[in-house]
Amino acid sequence: MEFPNDLIYSKEHTWIKLQDNIGTIGITAFAQKELGEIVYTDLPNVGYSFQQDEVCGSVEAVKTVSQLFMLVSGNIIETNKQLLKEPTLINSAHFGDGWLIKIEIKELTELENLLRSTQYKKLKN
Amino acid sequence: MKVALFSDIHANLPALEAFFEDVEKKNPDSMYCLGDLVGYNIWANEVVNEIRKRKTPTIAGNYDFGIGRMSNDCGCAYKTDEEKDNGKISISFTNSIMKDEERAYLRTLPAHIKVEFQLNEDKLNLLLVHGSPRKINEYLFEDREEKSMLRIMEKADADILCFGHTHKPYHRILNSGIDGQNHFRHAINIGSVGKPKDNDVRGGYVMLTINEDSSVLVKDSISVEFIRFDYDIEKAAKAVEESPLPDEYAENLRRGY
Repeated sequence: MEFPNDLIYSKEHTWIKLQDNIGTIGITAFAQKELGEIVYTDLPNVGYSFQQDEVCGSVEAVKTVSQLFMLVSGNIIETNKQLLKEPTLINSAHFGDGWLIKIEIKELTELENLLRSTQYKKLKN
Repeated sequence: MKVALFSDIHANLPALEAFFEDVEKKNPDSMYCLGDLVGYNIWANEVVNEIRKRKTPTIAGNYDFGIGRMSNDCGCAYKTDEEKDNGKISISFTNSIMKDEERAYLRTLPAHIKVEFQLNEDKLNLLLVHGSPRKINEYLFEDREEKSMLRIMEKADADILCFGHTHKPYHRILNSGIDGQNHFRHAINIGSVGKPKDNDVRGGYVMLTINEDSSVLVKDSISVEFIRFDYDIEKAAKAVEESPLPDEYAENLRRGY
């Protein structure tokens, strides 16, 4: 299973990739495998803001539905519209084209509460 | 209009025979089968032929979809390695016993049946699916968030959505009306004839009653009756134990899981 080093992870099996104060968020290889085929993503509207750990959406798979918890406080600046047509991108490209949302991060210090690649890998092994 | 709905027989002939005996006494006006005729028990061909003989309108379940295509994947969500291993034995066994004509029947089953009632000024749409309108193997459990369930039903234009697949029966009434105007929608899981998983070992089905005044505007204007019937569980369980199928499937029948 992949654990890319350039991503930061949550215990809820989501990841965030940083570019300055912009974060791109998705679900991990483990999460997509556990969920199975994804059929729908319920993502927040652009402009909404969420606190760290607040529920901001959900991912619906054939087996079950999983809530999405915000990794760090921030404002939604973009959602992945391609997922409306092709939700299985999350299965096939979970660390790439299957990203979910982009946020403008409010509190960069909150990133310290998250896991680095090696820590997340340990959590999974 | 009394509509009998049954599904998830899973090759359990004693259960199917007991179901037909029970439902015929109740004299429904119509009857539909919501799929998963085969898998997990030994009488796959016999179950197909009993349903074909009665010309019951039937849709494909995920297991029928797999066997119809000679696939080794039934689209089931097994949780443990043991369940996965047992699942492989079941689909391989079912593929090995399935005769050509019966397999061709499964291969050509439709995915959905839509029945539109025109009783009042509003339409009342009954949609029959196996898992969900969007996926044949999606599990719509009773605890599905209301927002998600309503979205699925609205997108499919279903006022009454009937489905199986989880083997756990329930009826939820949800209101998708806006601006003070009610629009009640019914999500009905019809349970399982041959492999119940709600800790009740009896087979189960649903009798849906639509009256002339049934409407999306009135919450309780349709009636949903969950009917359970006894069948010869030991006959089915022993047949599993005497076959290449895993003995766990026999125990599941005896425990209702």
